[in-house]
Amino acid sequence: MSFETPDDRRYLESHEWTTTDGDAVRFGISDFAQDELGDVVFVELPDAGDEVTAGEEFGVVESIKAVSDVYAPVSGEVVAVNEDLFDAPELLNQDPYGEGWLIEVEPAADADFDALLSPDDYRDQIE
Amino acid sequence: MSGRDYGQKAGSPYAPHTDAETAAMLEAVGADDEGDLFDIPDAVAFDGEFGIPARSEREIRAELRETLADNDDLTEFLGRGHYSHYVPSVVDHLADRAEFLTSYTQYQPEIAQGFLQALFEYQSMLVELTGLGIANCSMYDAATALGEAATLADRVRSTSGDVVLVPEQLREGKRSVLANYCDGADLAVETYPMADGNVDLDALRERAGEDVVMVYAENPTVRGCIEEQLADVGAVADEADALFVLGSDAVALSVLEEPATVGADVVVGEAGALGLPAAYGMGLGLFACREEFLRQVPGRLVGASEDATDRRAYTLTLQTREQHIRKERATSNICTNQAWVALRAAMHAAHLGPSGLVELANDCVREATDLAERIDDLSGYGAPVHDRHHLREFAVRTDQPAAAVADEVEAAGFAVHTIGDHLLQVCVTDLNADAADELVAALEAAA
Amino acid sequence: MIYDQASYTREEEAQHEPLLSEKDETTVDVREESPLPEELTRDEVTLPELSEPEIARHYTRLSQMNWAIDAGAYPLGSCTMKYNPKFTEDVAANPDGAVHPDRSSRSVQGTLEVLYGLQEYLAEIGGMDAVTLQPPAGAAGEFTGIRVAKAYHEANGEGNRSEVIVPASAHGTNFATAALAGYDVVELPSDEDGRVDLDALEAAVSEDTAALMLTNPNTVGLFERDITEIAEIVHGAGGLLYYDGANLNALLGRGRPGDMGFDVMHYNVHKTFATPHGGGGPGAGPVGVVDELAEFLPTPRVRETESGSGYERFEPERTIGKVQGFEGNWLVLIKAYAYIARLGDEGLADAAAKAVLNANYLGERLDLEIPYGPYHHEFAATSGDRDAADVAKRMLDYGVHPPTTKWPEMVHNAMLTEPTEIENKSSLDDLATAFNRAFADDDETLENAPNRTTAARIDQTSAARNPRLSWQALDGE
Repeated sequence: MSFETPDDRRYLESHEWTTTDGDAVRFGISDFAQDELGDVVFVELPDAGDEVTAGEEFGVVESIKAVSDVYAPVSGEVVAVNEDLFDAPELLNQDPYGEGWLIEVEPAADADFDALLSPDDYRDQIE
Repeated sequence: MSGRDYGQKAGSPYAPHTDAETAAMLEAVGADDEGDLFDIPDAVAFDGEFGIPARSEREIRAELRETLADNDDLTEFLGRGHYSHYVPSVVDHLADRAEFLTSYTQYQPEIAQGFLQALFEYQSMLVELTGLGIANCSMYDAATALGEAATLADRVRSTSGDVVLVPEQLREGKRSVLANYCDGADLAVETYPMADGNVDLDALRERAGEDVVMVYAENPTVRGCIEEQLADVGAVADEADALFVLGSDAVALSVLEEPATVGADVVVGEAGALGLPAAYGMGLGLFACREEFLRQVPGRLVGASEDATDRRAYTLTLQTREQHIRKERATSNICTNQAWVALRAAMHAAHLGPSGLVELANDCVREATDLAERIDDLSGYGAPVHDRHHLREFAVRTDQPAAAVADEVEAAGFAVHTIGDHLLQVCVTDLNADAADELVAALEAAA
Repeated sequence: MIYDQASYTREEEAQHEPLLSEKDETTVDVREESPLPEELTRDEVTLPELSEPEIARHYTRLSQMNWAIDAGAYPLGSCTMKYNPKFTEDVAANPDGAVHPDRSSRSVQGTLEVLYGLQEYLAEIGGMDAVTLQPPAGAAGEFTGIRVAKAYHEANGEGNRSEVIVPASAHGTNFATAALAGYDVVELPSDEDGRVDLDALEAAVSEDTAALMLTNPNTVGLFERDITEIAEIVHGAGGLLYYDGANLNALLGRGRPGDMGFDVMHYNVHKTFATPHGGGGPGAGPVGVVDELAEFLPTPRVRETESGSGYERFEPERTIGKVQGFEGNWLVLIKAYAYIARLGDEGLADAAAKAVLNANYLGERLDLEIPYGPYHHEFAATSGDRDAADVAKRMLDYGVHPPTTKWPEMVHNAMLTEPTEIENKSSLDDLATAFNRAFADDDETLENAPNRTTAARIDQTSAARNPRLSWQALDGE
């Protein structure tokens, strides 16, 4: 089976992605991750204004049979939360790189995107 | 006595293998005997001699009949958290159907629709009785349900608070169970005073503060008093941003103030007041809470869903809260619960219907009131000790030492609680009300 | 009916049983007849008001939509679903035993004698010195045992021990129990043979170790052969060794936790001693301990009076208090006593022997790979790249209850199978056939299964995304 791994973002080994452009970046989970989890039924996210730290958990994604922490690719302040997921967690399955984004973060000054996996590296990991 | 069970083989009577079958199976697995299949080092192997003699069914039935006959035949006027009412025969006969009794947890819902529906109905009855949005399909008993409520309070009130407030008059065993649950969460159990059998509201208000995560009150109280200011207790808890946890039981809930309307966040208690005979303290933990705590509820939940043909079906749901998936971050460690007792309680409630439930509860009030008056008329006694309305039970002041009175009453064939040097407690229900005259006479003789 | 040929196509609504609330809802005005002042009562209560015949039919119908051990094999791994002897129901129903727990000890000598007898039996079977019967289920037993361990450490001035070690393959309750008792959980990986990795254990223990919780045979049926070394490592670090009794059925008469170096254990009486599981409970989870821990056990316990003429309750000197409001699940405990008495030494050992023989015979007959062995009373087969949950649903169509699926995680697509001693050869042959046929069916068939059951595949996702947990929440559906 092949999974989408868009070239315009960076990844974590734990299957989160982040965009890399602009004042604020978005975090989400990969196509591979949503497929592994199965139907997502519940998402727990931080509030706008909270700080997230690179490599540390910032939320929880639940399917019927599994609970997964999600980890922050880079540090920063949460500026927006995808509230649509609370009523429609299935967006995470349907469109993990689009409407299924999790949070929007203003990266800290020392946020290190280069330390993250490139799309190719991530593809190697999951294949 | 002769105890032979005819036609039965050596070994376990419930292992059906014939010698020929055993031999064929051993051959199939390439073993000479069953011992070959055990991979236990000699150093820790056991010789099999427990010294427990096997007996026949008939012998064991006789033995236990004789042993239990050593229990004195007393008429019990006992409550204080373990209540029983007459359970109609139909409950025994239906609940004892092997399809219910010998089934496991409903992990394959497609072949467990019956039990799931019965538990869904049980949950629904508790939703009606408590007015709260969610009821789980059982905890072990009232005390452990209270413990679970405290850990829930600790999770949902993520403030710095670490105090769980409980009434001064509380069954010691319940307090002890609560303390065991609280210890792991670094919560401290503290007491607030009572005023004439009800919550001392002023004292509670003074004590409640930022450090409090939960306020517990009971209605009726452990002494059978009906609380008169429950909504105020709820308001105090609310102001302190603490959870208001209310203790009650399935019969009392059918007539007393609805927990939701007095601001209860969680209701715990004994649902085994329905469906269970006196069972030496075996219970059925009632646990209901507001919908906002959905993801923090301990224990199993049955939900409605649809099957692949779009018809309604039931299933255990939101299992990611539970230990088998969430492990150390589960909302509780509970796995096996009291499902069959919940089935019995639901059957009993269905049999009573709302009219029967209300009549039963009303009788529990009337009988307690009447008996307290009659005991109060005796010289040497004052009842009820607290100037409150009572349900089922009440405290009695004795001029003589209470323990001596209880002993004398026991010798006359009645059991009552001793709860203080000069305090007894008496519980009267449909099961013992017809012996009230004799109890009064026995108390009179013991005065 | 669970299997209803006549309604094979499931076109008829008739095979479903309406909710009680769909049969009747009656509202009673509580205040009308109330002896209480209005402000102390609710205004009304709305519940079904039905006659006894209607209730009898409702629950009879519900019972028919339910699998049960009396209906057929129930080989759920780690659950030990064995036959529940009928006579134990009769001894439990004795009205002489229907007493209140606040009765004086002298007035319930019979009850105390039964409890004392069971304490003694369990101590002997586990190789333990003292037993409490109070914990109402296995997980409650775990909690009791770990609380006792904590009290022991605190009494020795070692209350700072903050960790409980749990093998990755352990029951979820072990992790949750340790956390509930306030401990940090240290997860221990298995070695490649599926057992405790001694090097990893050496590395995990420290002055912070309060206990290691261990299931033996473990959750894929393997006996921890290095148990003596494991005990030495844990004890050497000052920790206690906890025995999870879930798999005790495999050891009866062949090995005792106490002889293996375990300090504290729980017994699952609804597994090992055949008390009925009742669709989820009640169980009972007595806890046994070695002498050093006895004074911390919950209160009360039962002992013989000094004169030897009777029995009395007593409070262990440094008790942790109570773990259930009263004295446990009496109606379960007395059935366990009766079962143990019925089997005796020889029967108990035979139960273990046949349970192990059955698992090995069934394993031999399966087309699925079983990665770990030699196993005892249960084995974890793998359905490989086929979804174990789907294979299980298909097994329902072949008229058997499937095993536990996708657990433990150390086996990919695990199908943890425990037939227990109560199945005979032909029953195991049928089970193997169902297993193998389901495993051989094509993907589409598996995904669409089951087809012959009361309900077709139930939508778990919708149940969780849109929780409807009461008839009130169905809102006219």
